[in-house]
Amino acid sequence: MTAQVKGDDGQQQAPITPPRDDEGPPSLTKLLGSRISIVQGIFLAMVSVILIALWLTTLQLIESSFAAAKINASRATGELAHTYEAQVVRAVREIDQALNVLKRSYEFDTDQEMLALIDDWGLLLTDFLFVSSIADAKGNVTSSTQAIVGTNIADQDYFRAQVESDQLAISHAWLNPASKTWKLTFSRRINTPDGAFAGIAYTSVDASYFVSGYEDAQLGQRGVLGLIGTDGVFRVRRSGEKVVSGEKTDYRQLIPDAEALEEQEVRLFKHSWDQVQRYTLATQLYEFPLAVILGLSEEEQLQASVALRRLYLQRAGATSVLILLIAGLVFYLSRQLQRSRQRILDEQVSHAQRVEYLAYHDGLTGLPNRSYFSQLLNRGIGEAKRYERRFALLFLDLDRFKIINDTLGHDAGDELLIEVAKRLNQALRETDTVARLGGDEFVVLLPEMNEEAQLSAVARKVLSAVGQPFRLAEQDLRITVSIGISVFPGDGEDEQTLLKNADIAMYHAKEGGKNNYAFYSEELNADSLERLALESSLRQALDEDQFVLFYQEKHDIHSNKITGAEALLRWQHPNLGLVLPHQFLPLAEETGLIIPIGKWVLETACHQAVDWIAQGQAPRCVSINLTARQFTDAHLLGDIREALQSTGLDPQLLELEISENLLLSDFDRGLDILHHIKALGVRIAIGNFGTGYTSLSTLETFQFDTLKIDGSVIRDVTREDSDRQLTEAIIAVGRAMAMTIVAEGVETREQAEFLLNSSCDQVQGFYYDKPSPSKRLN
Amino acid sequence: MNSTQGCKQLLRLALLATCLAVANVQAEVVVVVAANSPVSSISRSDVAKIFLGKSRRFADGSRAIPLNQSESNTAREIFYRQVSGKSPAQVKAHWAKLIFTGRGQPPKEASNSAKIKQLLTKNTGNISYLNLSAVDDSVKVLPLK
Repeated sequence: MTAQVKGDDGQQQAPITPPRDDEGPPSLTKLLGSRISIVQGIFLAMVSVILIALWLTTLQLIESSFAAAKINASRATGELAHTYEAQVVRAVREIDQALNVLKRSYEFDTDQEMLALIDDWGLLLTDFLFVSSIADAKGNVTSSTQAIVGTNIADQDYFRAQVESDQLAISHAWLNPASKTWKLTFSRRINTPDGAFAGIAYTSVDASYFVSGYEDAQLGQRGVLGLIGTDGVFRVRRSGEKVVSGEKTDYRQLIPDAEALEEQEVRLFKHSWDQVQRYTLATQLYEFPLAVILGLSEEEQLQASVALRRLYLQRAGATSVLILLIAGLVFYLSRQLQRSRQRILDEQVSHAQRVEYLAYHDGLTGLPNRSYFSQLLNRGIGEAKRYERRFALLFLDLDRFKIINDTLGHDAGDELLIEVAKRLNQALRETDTVARLGGDEFVVLLPEMNEEAQLSAVARKVLSAVGQPFRLAEQDLRITVSIGISVFPGDGEDEQTLLKNADIAMYHAKEGGKNNYAFYSEELNADSLERLALESSLRQALDEDQFVLFYQEKHDIHSNKITGAEALLRWQHPNLGLVLPHQFLPLAEETGLIIPIGKWVLETACHQAVDWIAQGQAPRCVSINLTARQFTDAHLLGDIREALQSTGLDPQLLELEISENLLLSDFDRGLDILHHIKALGVRIAIGNFGTGYTSLSTLETFQFDTLKIDGSVIRDVTREDSDRQLTEAIIAVGRAMAMTIVAEGVETREQAEFLLNSSCDQVQGFYYDKPSPSKRLN
Repeated sequence: MNSTQGCKQLLRLALLATCLAVANVQAEVVVVVAANSPVSSISRSDVAKIFLGKSRRFADGSRAIPLNQSESNTAREIFYRQVSGKSPAQVKAHWAKLIFTGRGQPPKEASNSAKIKQLLTKNTGNISYLNLSAVDDSVKVLPLK
């Protein structure tokens, strides 16, 4: 049930909403977006701080590990390079020293055996690694620690260098064809006593000798150790187990400033020959045309740090995940707790709201109910009084709702009420309040309306809105509404008066033909009070047998014999005395009380007719008047049949009188009912003839047994020609159609005489007798 | 270790044994000291240490001075393979490193076995190796433990 409720003093009352959707997996936005308590906020902040601290520490550890590794690599490069430089210098000096011994010896004494002698003395470098030889001025090898005597070395660079100068010369690396190893040769010039070139002393050694100090433990697999000539040609270079000789390189790049006496800085750069980035220190030797280079691979030096970094990151990551999991669990549990608390709270609130809602709203239409409306109205009255404002109240009652409810069922009736409520809301403004007081009664509060013209417009709008066809129980139907209007403060200054007066106005609208509206007025009130009293009395009258039947005899105009009697209803009110039908029948007709009353009349009259016979009277016909509502009542035939059966009265002795007006509204249906009644054997009279507009064809279509001329027609029959002529004409028509003609309301002798002359059949009226309770007829 | 590797290992051992057997037949090399040396036996690893410059003393603490055969003598290669498992190139690289870094000098070389025997008798601290065929009373063969 959804209920839209109109303005509560202009404020919208929120309809009851279903409980929030708390089920389903909690999304992140749900977790973070919806209410977070302060404690949870602090908890989240703490977890964040812990995580941030963890990661900052980790990153700092990594950072410092790398920084330390870089410093270490740089320092190690420096230290190793200095050691290497010292080793190279010493090794070359040893070689130079041995060559100088040979040079001086051969300059002193040219004996060819000198070499062997010096060797024996142990002044030569170990022949384990070194080959020492002497060549003459033409390049012929004259003596050697190995069997190479006789070869010529005049074209070798280490020989030619000595022809020019008298300094230690260092050859390029050359490949020894026998051993397939790269060799370096160092040479010194031997002079004649007068300083002319006499030959050279030279010694050869494996180039790899100068990089044999390569330690994997210090230099790794990708470090570098090397000896470069100042000509930029590598004499030897080693990385791991790989030894290379003879490669040319960019000397200036390795040693930017050869003349610098200060210590060189360790530099990190990519080496051109193998594209390895190394911490590098290259130094040119002071006393030899050589430079040494030592490099440590950056990758290898930082390997430990890289591994450490991975380890730290993994640990930090794992720790973070763990912290997040625990935090998430704790958070989730706390959310669950909070949510279940909230849910209980929500349920209580929503229950309270619902209870309140139900207490103040109509369950069917969702409109404010009587007690809520009462509050609203009282508030409205209070405000109107304070601000001296006027406002109007509309009281609505659906016409014919009971019939729809009875014929289509209660479900359809409920549906209709819901639809009506909807239409009322649509037709009215937001600020207007529509309420259902119960049944088919609605009430509308128009807070800002008070001009009669405005109110009429609103009422018409409501009539039109309700009057649109409905689709109910698979059929189209129309329903109308009657509206009564009262205005504050003119028509009442309190809730009860305003409501009552609007109700009275509504009744007036209904009496005025329904589907209508009426404003309250003082006169209506007076009528209404009487009416209300009457209505409740009428119900009581039926229960307490306050109704009585009077009978007025009908006489044969010629013989003056009694032919029958008309039953007339009277109400013997305990306080008011005898009440005549025109005072209460309209109300009985309207309220439907006429049906049980009419049934009582039927039964009582039939009984009376039988009683008369039982009392030994000549059988005579009893006639009863049917009202419009009785005539169309579905139970009429059944009631007649039942009355006849229960009393055993001859149907021919019962005459039912209908006013000619009854046939005007629905001729065919009326005719149908008449045929059915007649089939029972009951006589039918058409009464009040001459007051309506019954056409002759109507009389022709249905064979009435009796035609009763209305008392008003014959009242002035002796004074007015037109009345006389009309009466004669009616009688002539009745005769022509073979109906019994009865004149009612005969009050004077003149009238009686006129009727006698006019061939009327029967007469009734005060002239003959006054209606009286059941009496012995003569 | 899987079966293929096991087989290879076996085969290698067999080949090595065969080689040694052949070498022994062709030239059995023995470790020798002066006949009057107090040293009566020595372990293979001690011999290797002394000849690779890693130790300068016998087990009893007395000074040990290694003497090499000349490079051309096949006994030298056989000896080094027997006691250290090193090839001549490896032995040379080993000594190059020691010499270059200033941590040692290689053993003195004698030009032939007679010279060796002569040098051994001069100093009881000397130790060398000979073809079995060259052994005589002037020297004492040290069994390797």
